[in-house]
Amino acid sequence: MIEEIRHEIETIEESANRLKRLAEANPAIRKNAEILLNFIYILKFITPETEKEEN
Amino acid sequence: MNYWNPYLETLPREELDKIELSYFKKIFSYAKEYSILYQEKMKGIDLRDIKTPDDIKKIPLTDKEELRKYQEMEPFPYGGILGRSIDEVTTFRQTSGTTGKPVYVPETYESWQWRIEAWCHILYMAGFRPHHRVFLPFGYNVYVAFWEAHYASEKLGCELVPGGALDTKGRIHKIIEIRANGMMNTPTYGLHIAEEAKNMGIDPASLGIERMLCAGEPMPEATRRRLEGLFGCHVFDHIGGTEPCAWAGMCEVKEGLHIIEPFFLVEILDRETLQKEVEEGEIGVAVVTPLGRRSFPLIRFNTKDLVIKGKETCLCGRTSRKIKEVVGRTDDLRKIRGVLFSPKTVEEAIRHEFPEVVEFEIVVERKGIMDEITIRTEVAPGLSEKEIDHVKARLRENLKVKTNLSFHVQMEPPGSLPRYTLKAKRFKDMRETRND
Repeated sequence: MIEEIRHEIETIEESANRLKRLAEANPAIRKNAEILLNFIYILKFITPETEKEEN
Repeated sequence: MNYWNPYLETLPREELDKIELSYFKKIFSYAKEYSILYQEKMKGIDLRDIKTPDDIKKIPLTDKEELRKYQEMEPFPYGGILGRSIDEVTTFRQTSGTTGKPVYVPETYESWQWRIEAWCHILYMAGFRPHHRVFLPFGYNVYVAFWEAHYASEKLGCELVPGGALDTKGRIHKIIEIRANGMMNTPTYGLHIAEEAKNMGIDPASLGIERMLCAGEPMPEATRRRLEGLFGCHVFDHIGGTEPCAWAGMCEVKEGLHIIEPFFLVEILDRETLQKEVEEGEIGVAVVTPLGRRSFPLIRFNTKDLVIKGKETCLCGRTSRKIKEVVGRTDDLRKIRGVLFSPKTVEEAIRHEFPEVVEFEIVVERKGIMDEITIRTEVAPGLSEKEIDHVKARLRENLKVKTNLSFHVQMEPPGSLPRYTLKAKRFKDMRETRND
C-alpha cells in the first residue's frame, strides 16, 4: 500500500512541476502549483522508505 | 482510527532510527549549503563523518545566543539563520524575549505547513477530531504556539473559534454561546478561567469542554489533574518552542509525552556535560533537531528544557520515544542556600495538596549574606483567620519537606496577585547575581 502511495505522490509531483512550467506567465496558477509542491514535500517526508524496502 | 499517521506512528523502532539518521544527514547537508550560521559553524565537519547515531553526538550544539548573533547580519531581520531566500518567507514569528533579545523566526509556506503537520500529531493524539469546536482564548500576536494550534485544528477538520480581543468574562460567555467543546490554553489561564467562571456563579464543568490541550508552561501532573477536575474534561500536555517547533505530545494513556518522530530527533543529554544520553527515569536537557524544516535549519538546538526520559513503549501502540515529564527550564533552576531549587516543585505541591490556594508567587531575595525565599499566597475568599493560619503552617511545613528550604509564607488579599494569560511568571529571583 505504502509503495502505491509513494508512486502516486511522485506522479502528482511531476504533474505539479509541469503545471508550474506551463503557467510561467500566470502568477495565480504558478503559485497554486508551487503550493501543491509544498505539500508534496510534506507527503514525501511522511512516507519515508525503510531500509528493508530499499533492499 | 487512533493514529494520525498509522504508517509513521507504528514503524519498528530500528526503522525509525534509520530514517532519522538519514533525515539528519539531509538537513545537515542542507544547512551547510544554505545557512550562513552552519556554513561557518560546521566548517570542519564532513557529512561522510556521520555514519551512526553516535556520530551525531560529535556535532556541536546550537544555542539561542548564536541565533541572536547571526540574525544581526543581513538580510534583515533574520540574517545568517535563514535557510531560504528571504523572498520565500511568508510568516514572521518571534520568541517571547524573556531571556534577552527575541529571536525572529522565518517560515516559508512549506516550512509552516511542515510545522502544522507535526502539530496535527499532537492534536490527534489528544483526541481532537472534526466534531470539536475549539475555542482559543487568546490574541495570538507574533508568538507561534497558538497560531500553530489554530492552523493544525483547521487541518484536522475541527471548527476553530479565535477568542482574542475579549476579556475572560467575555470568553466564558462566548464558550457558552457557541457551545465550544475543545479549548487550548496555558495551564495558568485554564485555572484562571475556572476561577472567573466560579466568580460568575458558573461551574466550569458545565461549560461543556471535553478536551483541553495545554501549552506554554511546564504543567505538573497535579495541575493537569486539577484542570480535569475543574472542567470535567480530558486535559493533555505538550512541549515545544518557537525555534524547534512543538516536538512532543501526550496520548490518551496520559503517561508522559511522545516525541513526534521522525519529525524531530530529540536527544536527552546529561545536564552537566551535555554530551551523553541519560538513562530512562533520569533528568536531562532536551536537544532537538527539526528534521524537515528548511527555512530555518536548526542542528542540535539546546532547548534548555529539563525533562525526564521516559519508557520506550506505550499502551497506545506508538513506537516513538517518550519523555516521562517536563521538569522545567535550566534557566529556572536556582541554587538557594546551596540547595538546587525548581519552582515546579512548589507548584506541584500547591496544586496537589492546597486546593484553597488560588494564586501564588515565589520571591527570592538576598538579605545580608543570606538568601530568603518567600511564597506570597492568595487563598479562596471566605476562609476564617484560623483556617488561614492553618494553611500558612501547612504550607511552611510541606514546602520545607518538598524543597529542603524554609519559606516565609505571606498572605495576600484576594485578587491582588497577577493573573496570567500566557506564560506565568510566578518565580522572581531578586538577587543581583545567580548562584548557579
